[in-house]
Amino acid sequence: MLEYLWLVPALPLAGFFALFVTEGKLPDKIVAVIGAGSVGLAALVALGAGIEFVQSGGTSYAQSLWTWMAVGNFTPSITLYLDPLSLVMTGVITGVGFLIHLYATGYMWKDHEEPQGYSRFFAYMNLFVFAMLMLVLGDNLLVLFLGWEGVGLCSYLLIGFYHRDPENGYAARKAFVVTRVGDTLMAIGLFLLFRELGTLDIQTALDDAGQLDGGMATAIGLLLLGGAVGKSAQVPLQTWLPDAMAGPTPVSALIHAATMVTAGVYLIARMKGIYDLAPVAQFAVAIVGLVTLLISSFTALTQTDIKRILAYSTMSQIGYMFMALGVGAWSAGIFHLMTHAFFKALLFLASGSVILALHHEQDIFKMGGLWRKLPVPFWSMLIGSGALVALPFITSGFYSKDAILLTAWDHENAGRWFWAGGVLAAFMTALYTTRMMVVAFLGGTKTEPHDASRINMWGPLVILAVLSIAGGWLTFSVLDDLIGAISHIPHTHPAALATIVLPLLGIVLGWLVFSGRLNVATWVESSAGNAVRRFWQSGWAFDWIYDRLFVKPFLWVARVNKGDVVDLAFRITAAITRGFHHVGALTQTGRLRWYAANMAIGLIVVFLIVASV
Amino acid sequence: MAIEVPVEQVLMVAAGLFLLGLLGVLVRRNIIFLLMSLEVMMNAAGLAFIAAGAKWGAPDGQIMFMLILALAAAEVAVALGLVLQISRRFDTLDVDAASELNG
Repeated sequence: MLEYLWLVPALPLAGFFALFVTEGKLPDKIVAVIGAGSVGLAALVALGAGIEFVQSGGTSYAQSLWTWMAVGNFTPSITLYLDPLSLVMTGVITGVGFLIHLYATGYMWKDHEEPQGYSRFFAYMNLFVFAMLMLVLGDNLLVLFLGWEGVGLCSYLLIGFYHRDPENGYAARKAFVVTRVGDTLMAIGLFLLFRELGTLDIQTALDDAGQLDGGMATAIGLLLLGGAVGKSAQVPLQTWLPDAMAGPTPVSALIHAATMVTAGVYLIARMKGIYDLAPVAQFAVAIVGLVTLLISSFTALTQTDIKRILAYSTMSQIGYMFMALGVGAWSAGIFHLMTHAFFKALLFLASGSVILALHHEQDIFKMGGLWRKLPVPFWSMLIGSGALVALPFITSGFYSKDAILLTAWDHENAGRWFWAGGVLAAFMTALYTTRMMVVAFLGGTKTEPHDASRINMWGPLVILAVLSIAGGWLTFSVLDDLIGAISHIPHTHPAALATIVLPLLGIVLGWLVFSGRLNVATWVESSAGNAVRRFWQSGWAFDWIYDRLFVKPFLWVARVNKGDVVDLAFRITAAITRGFHHVGALTQTGRLRWYAANMAIGLIVVFLIVASV
Repeated sequence: MAIEVPVEQVLMVAAGLFLLGLLGVLVRRNIIFLLMSLEVMMNAAGLAFIAAGAKWGAPDGQIMFMLILALAAAEVAVALGLVLQISRRFDTLDVDAASELNG
């Protein structure tokens, strides 16, 4: 099957073209078959190729398709490169991607907000899967960048999918512009890399990375980190992700939880050779992760929109991955990426079912008492939440988060701080997840649900729920060979015990507070409590700061500069030219004899000049 | 017996003719006179060619004169057509009347 690897990205691309050229004229049932089927087939091919790859025991497999362009010594080729890292990513993208597509065939069915959008939706989704696969399978940083911008485009298109509401268009533009900041840094990093090493081929560049001097390696590492920060919604470029929830829920599950936002993690893991040479840049990765996971887990505690809670939790989980990469727990980071893709996709899809059953109600305080009325979403949410909280031993999230925190503990440089921050965030994760579950699913019914989900919607939920639990056991059998064994401190070590106990404490505390058994109203309603709550709810005021720092000044400049100062140079040139034109036009009288006299005078002048020389 | 005429004198006559023609082109407003003045100017050039050819004993000068004759004939054919058009359109032969192509 390995020789059919090219089919993996080609199938979703073909699906996109099929849906794109028919311009939504196909019946919805055929659209569903093409949209979900192309990704499903790609998943099957990827599975076959993956099995053969593992059995062959090789460390990498490259399939050259064609030379993209040839400019002197610069000949980037379209080559698919399969190694354990890209295999894990491909598996997640096609596997989880297929389940989400399948779910979306039900979720988007007869969508009253966007009646003609069914075909458009799947066209964008297929294009996204293609771009994401090129991102992870490209053996060349240029191909990676192509995929990188491709997923950014699809993210933009799908956030603004309900384009009739200007708010959604604003959210889409915000996501596009903010990630563009990071992409620019990344592009500069790629330019530097090319200038220093003369190649963008990933394996060659990593082999030659030893030629870089320390400062240059650090600069490249930090610039690539800038790109990763933008795409993965880490501090300080995290503000776009909560607003990105304006898109349909399957989009949030696929793009803004499972795959695209983890592209930054993939990029850093892929460029490990650079970061090995640049400990400062690697340390910066860890700091970014730590800051993000703390800020976003506190913010998630105060959100009321179920999708925004999940968005902030996605940011904090990716923060864990960044921290893992930063402290050198490479395989633990990728492992967490995989388990997170399972349980966060599950959480988003289950919340999508809830939102659909409540006619697009997303405020958890208007839900309540749903556990008996929506059993499949409830149990899915419960399992997903368990994995998110990292319930010990039975959920996949536990194994990956545990591996990250314990490696951080061992890190020689400020490892205890990383560990402490991670454990504190794990406690907060337990708190906000419990809050979400208790408020939305327990207590009295506030809105009557109307469950219309069919097998194509709850089927993916069940499969993802199984993966969210069993995903952790994979590590002991298959993944050890693939992405390297994860170092284990025995579970009796105090650090390991704290890692287990604190989330449990968070769950208990959350249950006591949010089911009303422990009255904290006096604290929360005090003026200090209110201020803190508002500060957290605003996402630590990042939006406010950026609004004052960038958006407002930019709008002011745009207003002042309506006439465009830069145009002045061109307008002056035009005015001068026009002046000369008027002077020249005076000589054109239209009188034949005047012209003849001028010619004669001109001739005489020429003769005089010639004679005087 | 042939009279030797120095080439300087012939060239002076040619220059005089040329200036006369030019003066005619510049001062006359009647388009017919304008064309006639042009003919005078061309013949002045032809005379200069003949004189130069005679001085160096080369046939090129006479050939050039015949070319000028042919050119003048062709020019007159076109120019008379233009004169006809102008007289019809403006009802006058004043060349300054046709000055619409001004800036």
